[in-house]
Amino acid sequence: MATTLDDVELDLTKPPATAHGAVPGTRTKVEGIYYLFLLPSLILFTLAITLPAVIGIFFSFTNSIGFGDWEFVGFINYIAAFSDPAILQSYLFTFGFAAVTVLVVNAVAFLLAVGLTSRIRMKTGLRSIFVIPMVISGIVIAFVFNFLFSNSVPALGQALGIGWLSESILANPDLAWIAIVIVTAWQAIPGTLLIYIAGLLSIPGDVYEAADIDGAGKFAQLTRITLPLVAGYVVINVILGFKGFLNAYDIIVGLTAGGPGTATRSIAMTIVTGFTSGDYAYQMANATIFFLITVAIALLQLALTRGRNVL
Amino acid sequence: MSVQPALVVETIEATEVLEGRAPRPANRFRMERVNWPGTIIIALCAVTVLIPLYVTLTTAFKTQAQAADGNAFSLPAPFSVDGFVEAWNLTNFPVAFAITTLVTAATVAGTILLASMASFAIARNWERKLFRWSFYYLLMAMFIPFPVLALPQIQLTGLTGLDNPVGVTILHIMFQLSFSVLLFTAFLRSIPLELEESARIDGASTWQAFWQLIFPLLAPMSATVGIFAFLASWNDFMMPSLIISDPSQQTLPVVQSIFQTQFSNNYNVSFASYLMAMAPAIIVYLFTQRWVMEGVTQGAVKG
Amino acid sequence: MPVPHHTAVRLIAAIVALGLAGGGLAGCAAGGPEQVRFLLSKPEAIPYFRDLVDEYNSSQDEVEVVLDNASNLQAGFLRGNPPDLGLLNYNMEMARFMERGALSDLSDMPEADRILPEVQKLVDQYATYPGRTSVLPYSVMAASVIYNKEIFEQNEVEVPTTLDELVEVCQTLTDAGVTPFYATYKDPWTVAQGWFDYTVGGMVDVASFYEKMKELGTEVGPDSEVSFEKTFAEPVSLMQQLSDDCTNPDAASKGYGDGNLAFAQGEAAMYLQGPWAFGEIAKTSPDLDLGTFPLPVTDDPDDLKVRVNLDLAAWIPEASDHKEAARQFLSYLFEKDVMDEYNAAQLGYGTTTDAAPVTDPRIVGMKEYFDAAAFYQGASQQIPLTIPAANYLQGVVLGSDVESTLSTMDADWARLALRQ
Repeated sequence: MATTLDDVELDLTKPPATAHGAVPGTRTKVEGIYYLFLLPSLILFTLAITLPAVIGIFFSFTNSIGFGDWEFVGFINYIAAFSDPAILQSYLFTFGFAAVTVLVVNAVAFLLAVGLTSRIRMKTGLRSIFVIPMVISGIVIAFVFNFLFSNSVPALGQALGIGWLSESILANPDLAWIAIVIVTAWQAIPGTLLIYIAGLLSIPGDVYEAADIDGAGKFAQLTRITLPLVAGYVVINVILGFKGFLNAYDIIVGLTAGGPGTATRSIAMTIVTGFTSGDYAYQMANATIFFLITVAIALLQLALTRGRNVL
Repeated sequence: MSVQPALVVETIEATEVLEGRAPRPANRFRMERVNWPGTIIIALCAVTVLIPLYVTLTTAFKTQAQAADGNAFSLPAPFSVDGFVEAWNLTNFPVAFAITTLVTAATVAGTILLASMASFAIARNWERKLFRWSFYYLLMAMFIPFPVLALPQIQLTGLTGLDNPVGVTILHIMFQLSFSVLLFTAFLRSIPLELEESARIDGASTWQAFWQLIFPLLAPMSATVGIFAFLASWNDFMMPSLIISDPSQQTLPVVQSIFQTQFSNNYNVSFASYLMAMAPAIIVYLFTQRWVMEGVTQGAVKG
Repeated sequence: MPVPHHTAVRLIAAIVALGLAGGGLAGCAAGGPEQVRFLLSKPEAIPYFRDLVDEYNSSQDEVEVVLDNASNLQAGFLRGNPPDLGLLNYNMEMARFMERGALSDLSDMPEADRILPEVQKLVDQYATYPGRTSVLPYSVMAASVIYNKEIFEQNEVEVPTTLDELVEVCQTLTDAGVTPFYATYKDPWTVAQGWFDYTVGGMVDVASFYEKMKELGTEVGPDSEVSFEKTFAEPVSLMQQLSDDCTNPDAASKGYGDGNLAFAQGEAAMYLQGPWAFGEIAKTSPDLDLGTFPLPVTDDPDDLKVRVNLDLAAWIPEASDHKEAARQFLSYLFEKDVMDEYNAAQLGYGTTTDAAPVTDPRIVGMKEYFDAAAFYQGASQQIPLTIPAANYLQGVVLGSDVESTLSTMDADWARLALRQ
């Protein structure tokens, strides 16, 4: 009854064991009950999400401001979007930021997860503490960190005599993004951490015992056993994390308002102004482009990790 | 289905390990001594987490004058609950709290039920196109940016009389669906088919097999899904502000947004308000996290 | 071919809404008073209006006013159930609703005749819906330079009325070790509202500038008759110069809250903020002796003007089902005593011909300019939000090149005109 490695891998594209021991490909009848399980979600979802999405995308081909009279204008919004330097800059910034943050978040969360599932003191207490960032509302986080970066950190920098730290990095167009990465990571790590802990705890102890017997050191165990076994969870965290950070909005608004200047203006910020500024249709085109790019990247990530998942 | 004795023993061991008690010889991680460097490093990281919480706490208990004096790290002097009183009144706290609680509770329950059912159907019928494609369909939706959906959703909910907390609940569940289905299907793949098979041999229908066998086994993932759903719903500002048309039915985050404007510096009141809103979330997590961890080990060790 | 967006939707929504409203209000509206949903979201004014609404409700029982301060306006109009009466800041966003005919005509109300014509003109500067008076201004905020009278006295400095005098004042104060202006670059809106609006407004005829810009549309560029690059080059360069020479060195990391605090603690002589800041400053130093004067940016004292904005303006949406009741409450709000009390409390200027004159020492310095209609609406307020003007300007005070920033704004303007 030992759990085999096969049961633990998380290749999303590999078909799992099928019901009734059916051979994949044969036409056994699907039990009606399964439809009952699936269809309510599917239908509600289509009505609540897909339908509005289609409508929203439709309006990207118009000049609607969200209400009132509108006209169909074809691809003008898309053409304009591609030649808009502000939009291009927001994409460059956001993608760069997301890539860095994904790395930071996953590295830290994974190491923390390893630590929090190992032999350390105050384990439960520490685990509870690390969830706090997830629970605090974004406004508070933005406010507190804004204060810290504007006042406390420069004070520290001055005391220690570090030049570039003595002024608020939020006011520095080249360094402001670092502050945003730190705060975003701070808030994102708990969620990622939870998933990694779940993943780590699903690895049975016998595997490590066997490795011990074979004489593998701790580091080797970490890289050759732990990492591959939680690979599926890594994939989930990276894909979702990247997508989440691409949508960064609350924290950026709270920390820098897109500044200094327009140095930290994210895609989501630009899109949301479309609501209030009468530029709805244009930003819907921007949002549609954004959606397509995000999906493409996610598919790319999935494809790249497909081969490595099967053990 | 009886739990075998060996499993029970292992479960107890694992739980003890998690709770930090002395390890039995056969525990899973062979670091016999306490990992002090690791403990210290992690404790330091924990401090960074506690700082904002500290600031929130102290500011909430300050008087207005002291809260605005720019010194975020000072302790309240004098200690004052003015902020709480004013926040309570300004936001009509009990009503907003009740509404938010109902919406969140319904979201959590609805998400767990719908997602687990859908995931089960998908996982067990992977070879059928409808189910496999449903999976990818639900997943793709995770990438739709919210602004694309917002305005049409406002119109549709207004049309169908769902411009109230009920509509918000439904939308919250739908937004959580993709992620929850992803988690549940991943977890379902680690539940061996033999369990269901033996249940069927004993005469159980699929319905019974799901509710009496699979669903209990999904508990750890249900808890995880539940926590994410809880937090997403409890803290959500955007959607209730757009969808709920009657201001007396608004949720807590929206009602608190009156503190958010750039012109207002009533820090003690706003932080008191945020604290009152955060407390339930923290309590819920602390309450469920023990259950989550125990459940996860049970699920993992049952192997 | 223009298609009305939501006529059918509105119809259905109205039916549904009426149905729900009927059901929902069953508890309290079985033949009871008519409910009017009153939207007011100005945070400083909420407690004041809460009391006002309570008073009104208890004084009569035909109309019950429900105070709403968090509804999303866009969503309300979209759904066809906006508030019945709105008393909000009037700006480009509100103007859009008006342009599309979403606000009902109030010209037949007697209150409309009491509005000062110059103030009504301010409303029209954004856009008009032909044949309607869609908006009745309630309170105007006049903003200029707030100065610390004590510091001025101590350094024997007089209120400047020309640019040369201003530069001198700056120099004197700096030599004496006093920060002339307290700046808060961290919050882009303070740069736009204070630094940009004051310098531009003092030199350029803002209203006619934007009129021409709208006409030019896609043709805006370095060679057009007016453009940001051409017309605003001088004021914005001055802005950059003043901000470089006359402000606190840590301005880049200070925000609105920090500014209020610092100014209240006497760390600078002057502060470019509007009357909304007085309340905040008073939290720290209620007894500070403050006054206001318009920022001089030319050599002619006759050019002095103050910046105004329609802080509160009243409107009733077409989609409202309680227009009559809303109008009743609106009349109450516009009663002379009620208006006067509000403006006195919130340091606003009255908008009616019979408004009580301003007497608060902190803002009385601007009275003569207001009475002479020597005012302008902020240049930054007439740039569509899709162009992040405030952020651009923040870049300028942090050191970006003035010319390239302004030409970027021109390019954005032209591109926007192309789309719309």
